[in-house]
Amino acid sequence: MIKERLAELVAESSDGAVTADEVLAATVPLSALGVTSISMLRLIDAIESEFGVEFDLSDDGMGLLDDFDRLSAHLASTASR
Amino acid sequence: MNVTGPTPYVEFAGPGPLTGPPTAPLTWGQRAIWEAIVRTAPDDRYFNFGRVLKVPGSRTVAEVCAALAALMARHGALRTRMSGALRTTMSDAFRATPAEPYQRLAEKGRLPVVVTTEDPDRVLDELAARPFDYFGEWPVRVALVLDGDRVAHVVLVFCHLAADGLGAEVALRDLRMFLLRGPGVRRPAASQPLDLAHWQAGPEGRRAAETAAAHWEREYRRIPPTMFSSPSGSPAEPPIWRALLRSPALELAVRSVAAEHAASTSTVLLTAVTELVGRFTGHETCAVLPISANRFRRDTTDIVATMSQEGLFTLDRREASFTGLLRAAGPAALRAYRSAYHDPADRNRITASVSAERGEPIHPYCCFNDMRFADPGPARCDPAEITAALARTSVTWPMSQDKLNCRFCVHLTTEGVSLTADTRYLSRPDMERCLLELEALVVEAALR
Repeated sequence: MIKERLAELVAESSDGAVTADEVLAATVPLSALGVTSISMLRLIDAIESEFGVEFDLSDDGMGLLDDFDRLSAHLASTASR
Repeated sequence: MNVTGPTPYVEFAGPGPLTGPPTAPLTWGQRAIWEAIVRTAPDDRYFNFGRVLKVPGSRTVAEVCAALAALMARHGALRTRMSGALRTTMSDAFRATPAEPYQRLAEKGRLPVVVTTEDPDRVLDELAARPFDYFGEWPVRVALVLDGDRVAHVVLVFCHLAADGLGAEVALRDLRMFLLRGPGVRRPAASQPLDLAHWQAGPEGRRAAETAAAHWEREYRRIPPTMFSSPSGSPAEPPIWRALLRSPALELAVRSVAAEHAASTSTVLLTAVTELVGRFTGHETCAVLPISANRFRRDTTDIVATMSQEGLFTLDRREASFTGLLRAAGPAALRAYRSAYHDPADRNRITASVSAERGEPIHPYCCFNDMRFADPGPARCDPAEITAALARTSVTWPMSQDKLNCRFCVHLTTEGVSLTADTRYLSRPDMERCLLELEALVVEAALR
């Protein structure tokens, strides 16, 4: 469920430039899908408010953000805590 | 200005009684601009900017005034002025330690409107030519340009405390809608600066501010104290000049490099400018302050307010190739944009404490402002087309003035890339060389 919700947030954050279905089907990083830095910031804000987490924007944290599967898994593990 | 007839007034009133007090602390964006205004005065007209709206259909002066009243009602920013307990005249605001100003929303008022038949762009320049009285005057100046007995254009000049570029676009879009569909058209309520000020001062705002502050503090400990610190040896008169590079080749090359590296065109140019700053100053670690729109939260996307603020972008050049720099620039740009949504009071505190720690003032005095509304976006371009376009490159000098609160400011506009610099630190020949090297760097990367 988290994956679907997250895909919706990516779509909303990109103003429809990327659809939720495209995000779910993608095998490439979000940035390669055409998610711009402003969309990425909107996404960070949306995830932080909805999941009550805080992103660290170190290179490591950024890698997590760009990798949809890792990000979903991370949020799932945080949510189940 | 060739004024036609007596000055009409727009009588305006807010949508209803306020639920709270009509005053609040300045928002972060207002405070950032206020500090810049105080440092730049008396040349603070620099921050005024305007827009010309072509009036849709055939509208009389009375109809346009009704639409303007609806616009003033909808957006509190346009009814908000600075206030300060000890403040009565403009000159007081610039004395050594003015009382901490705050914002005050008026429930109603009268906005004077100039009616003229002159060229709209000239009208805009005239309206923007003198600084605002931030405490007394409404933060928007309006002129209606007539064609016969109908209004052809509305000219709006904004005080930067009320709106930034994107905020002005929202105001224009709403004004156009009131002109098309009538001032009574129902719309969902707009976000308001007073609410934003309360959010920023509340727990969520403080959390965001603290994350941003941590970035400023960490980076301020390691960046060179200032980017352009050595005298150029050939200051110009007046000291501040602007050079404008018009380069179709650079435009194409930027799009090409952005497509190649899955980056935005803005990040490509920010990275290239940072590399050029490094080349001209010799610093390996470079700090540039990009102006970020700060409209990434859902409740601020469409607010008429000044949201844009400086973030802190840092890049370690060492021996990295431009491609290597671009890779590092993506995450660095996100960190910078997040740090842009900060409380200037935190930044001032950090600047003071780190400067004391390091024994010299820390401030990059080096900024980057992407003011393009329509980013053409990444796209691979034909290398032959890029090379051919080089013949159309030009550099002009559209502006000069006495004072500026920065030493090196790059602006991206639809006209091109401009560099406004303090010639005491970067001479005019070097300014021109810097812009041409910027073009060469990106063109070369695109052709590789």
